[in-house]
Amino acid sequence: MKQVAVRNIRLCTKDCLCLYVCPTGATDTENSIIDTTKCTGCKSCADACPNGAISMVPLSYPAQQKKQDDVIAILNAVSYRKMQAETIANQIACQAGNQTVQPLMQAIARSSRLIAEDLIREAGYMLPQSANAQDFLQGLLTNPPDDFPTEIVTELLTRIPCNETKEGIIQ
Amino acid sequence: MKYICVICGFVYDEAKEPVLFSALPDTWICPVCGARKNNFHAEEDKKKPQEAHTIYETDLQPLSTAQLSALCSNLARGCEKQYKFRESELYTQLSEYFLRHTPQEPEASLDRITALLKEDLNEGYKTIHRIASDVGDRGALRVCVWGEKVTRILHDLMERYATEGEQFLADTNIWVCSICGFVYVGNTAPMLCPVCKVPDWKFEKIEGGIGL
Ligand code: SF4
Ligand code: SF4
Ligand SMILES: [Zn+2]
Ligand SMILES: [Zn+2]
Repeated sequence: MKQVAVRNIRLCTKDCLCLYVCPTGATDTENSIIDTTKCTGCKSCADACPNGAISMVPLSYPAQQKKQDDVIAILNAVSYRKMQAETIANQIACQAGNQTVQPLMQAIARSSRLIAEDLIREAGYMLPQSANAQDFLQGLLTNPPDDFPTEIVTELLTRIPCNETKEGIIQ
Repeated sequence: MKYICVICGFVYDEAKEPVLFSALPDTWICPVCGARKNNFHAEEDKKKPQEAHTIYETDLQPLSTAQLSALCSNLARGCEKQYKFRESELYTQLSEYFLRHTPQEPEASLDRITALLKEDLNEGYKTIHRIASDVGDRGALRVCVWGEKVTRILHDLMERYATEGEQFLADTNIWVCSICGFVYVGNTAPMLCPVCKVPDWKFEKIEGGIGL
């Protein structure tokens, strides 16, 4: 599977070992972002970095696991309630002003959101490249409300190609 | 007799402790995760068999606006993990759009939150567990194990707030694990998340203040 190097700028201390080992000069850039058009995926920089600041990232991902309808249905039922809890906690936090219940409500809202995201991820939205995610975006473009930011959706669709077809995975 | 915390697995061994478990006050909490006594079970009672009485409706319902917001923030995280920062930002914007358009809940009360949590504990997670075990979906089982424990601590905190009032939150901090959502009340975050075991720096401190 083809890979490219990505540098985590927060971990990078600019020791610059990666500059010496890169055979193509891909690591030597003015904005610290490794040039993916030059990177051949040889992994020398990732091995040389003393800070673990470079990861090798695959250019394509395998298709996500298929989920059964009954699994999806029950995961969705629970994430529905988690998001109800988030909405209510946010409402109470807004009304609460500075009372002590406010941080508790913010914690409940934050936690409920994280659980809901995790449930939805397991209900068929693991990979941004999946057919599910792409179908979701396409669906948003049919009869959108007036204030809907369609340009965001179109940009996402052009930036993230789908990795599934009816026949299987596009490599 | 040994008593085990269902959330973090801490063992209260009466042979080593000065006080019998039953003699601990109701305000006693698990030293590791902060859960109250009723989240412990005696080591002897073998796991109660899961009662699976709910026949689950498998028709796929359309997602609510709030769920769409979570769908998008989930994909934003997915993009971030792949170092796709622009895409992550775009999904975050979509998520915020859906959040702004989420209708208010008619009954916004603390009791309603507690009731929702209770429904998940009594019914939702049991059903996920049963269906996911039947079909061997380990991913769904993982989300079930984490989610149920975190839901239990949230339910516990809501009940503590209802019985002990505001003082249990005074002069302390609230921390949320950014991976599993576990909530911890204390001056500093736990060294390891009691549920998903990530280190303390993965915890976010709730800062309070208006302007959500
Ligand atoms: S070797 Fe690692 S720390 Fe040093 S400049 Fe390269 S990425 Fe940064
Ligand atoms: S993987 Fe190889 S080619 Fe790519 S940036 Fe690192 S050293 Fe250079
Ligand atoms: Zn515990
Ligand atoms: Zn955690």
